[in-house]
Amino acid sequence: MSDQLSFTDIEANICTIANLVEEDKLYFAQMAGAPLMAILLAKHSRTPNVGYVVEEGAVAPSPTFPLPRMMLGASRSHYRAVAWYGMNLVDAHAALGFMDYGLLACLQVDRFGNFNSTHIGGTYEQPERRFGGPGGANEIASQCWRTLLMTKLEKRKFVNRLDFMSSPGYLDGTPGARERAGLPANTGPYKVITQEAMFDFDEETRRMRLIATMPWMTVEQVLAKVEFQPLIADKVERMEPPTEEQLETIRTLLDPGGLAVSRGEWITIDSATGQRAA
Amino acid sequence: MEVIAAGTGEYRAPDPDGFREYVRTHKDRRLVSKLMSEQEAVSRFVADGDYMAFDQNIAVRGPASLMREIIRQRRKDLWIAAKFTWTDASLLVAGGCVTKIDVGWMAAGRTINQAVREGRLKLIEWSNGALAYRHLAGALGVHFLPMRYLAGTDTFTQSGAKMIEEPFTGAPVCLVPALYPDVAIIHVHQCDEFGNARVLGAGVAPMEIAMSSRKVIISTEEIIDNETIRRQPQRTTIPYYFVDAVVHAPFGCYPGSTPGLYGADIEHWLQWGAAEMQGKTDEYLDKWVHGVSSHQEMLDKLVGEAKLEQMRQAETVREGYYE
Repeated sequence: MSDQLSFTDIEANICTIANLVEEDKLYFAQMAGAPLMAILLAKHSRTPNVGYVVEEGAVAPSPTFPLPRMMLGASRSHYRAVAWYGMNLVDAHAALGFMDYGLLACLQVDRFGNFNSTHIGGTYEQPERRFGGPGGANEIASQCWRTLLMTKLEKRKFVNRLDFMSSPGYLDGTPGARERAGLPANTGPYKVITQEAMFDFDEETRRMRLIATMPWMTVEQVLAKVEFQPLIADKVERMEPPTEEQLETIRTLLDPGGLAVSRGEWITIDSATGQRAA
Repeated sequence: MEVIAAGTGEYRAPDPDGFREYVRTHKDRRLVSKLMSEQEAVSRFVADGDYMAFDQNIAVRGPASLMREIIRQRRKDLWIAAKFTWTDASLLVAGGCVTKIDVGWMAAGRTINQAVREGRLKLIEWSNGALAYRHLAGALGVHFLPMRYLAGTDTFTQSGAKMIEEPFTGAPVCLVPALYPDVAIIHVHQCDEFGNARVLGAGVAPMEIAMSSRKVIISTEEIIDNETIRRQPQRTTIPYYFVDAVVHAPFGCYPGSTPGLYGADIEHWLQWGAAEMQGKTDEYLDKWVHGVSSHQEMLDKLVGEAKLEQMRQAETVREGYYE
């Protein structure tokens, strides 16, 4: 019997993003949960010197591990930063163009990378389910040069029409839409990362484009899990599944309480082939 | 300036001159002791119908003891700025205190959902940054500030922001109205009796919130001498003349943490979470808020020294805060 590897969809996203992190860039990370875990995993493995800010004002911290269960602005997540400021200052750092990548999660995303974190179902006034709101996502998605969005590959998340556009992608997708709206020039969503597929955005049409899948997924299977038809890259690459080492770091050091990853859906693969285990 | 798009969200018209008049007639410029109990501070400075701001949240360095006192005194009809909050907003809504929330981020569970559905609670959309920035505009004493986000989204449409062609180059720019809260409640690490307050570590916008609010209540883990303040003036976050009340509140963020001093009481969060999911927030409030007469009594009777010691031990970082 060959070895199997089990992980949640959220762990898969954390690992994929950690593999994308570039050490010579600055990141503005959503201050809790999986996006922060992704930059921390990168910091702990491939890119120890990568800098990031969080919205409550910690600049380039070097958190101590294991992290506490309550990550929100706690001392260990701000440990050995280069500066402790407040929200207005780090948002200004993004406004000035210093933040290369924003790192965010969302409830729903549309074909132009606009996304929702406000409510699902119903109307704004009478929502079926109200969620927390944009938090810092609107300023991050507006002002960082590129935004990395993570969510789950599911029909109800990749929607034709958002229930609410909390934060901007390429708006209506027309050329210059963000600039016309008043957002900083040449910014926008860069990649959408899910547990089974990765997308980017076509430079001309600004439409989401499938660029990679996990080994156990076919393009057809991905398309069956999204409501809209994304573009498909000429060559769809193969994504690397999480490694044992990455998963161990997440589980023992980054999120020992399992708060960020516990609500995920479990995926089991055969380590040798990368295929879903029977 | 021509307005090219406007959100429909309600906002209070920024009134910097009204603020200045208030400062002129109400704010004490003397170095006088403002030490008082939480009961006195809330009863004197938080009124029904006030717009209330707070810094940080009930998870980290938020003014939890003052929030509980506000619920205990059954304040009504507050409009709050919920930026970078956690369960703070739900707690105040469950306590019957809040009818409007400017939303940045809040934990939106059953309490918030139900109150919105029943029309008891009105939400207005902003973002964490937009609310902090509106405080900054208030702190600068102006009517509004321009910024580079919110634009183009439904968040903008449900906010009180406006788009204009800015008069220097004609570029589209989003304007947000300055926020001048009636009252701010801010929890700090150290403060002297006059109100010179130190926030140690990163904060959301403690200085901007204190500067832009008419009435300011500080709760503090520790009362320190004015002499100590004067020896390290660079550590002062908020100077005395902004402050109306200083409340000594050790473990004032309970059940949350105050960085450098104590970690959070995770079990308590689970209790609140369970109460909310089961629709039993009244029982929770009866026990933790109405069942005691003060923050100190809650610590003595319901939390206990053993738990407090555990919380102290859970904080392993002092570097940067106290060293």
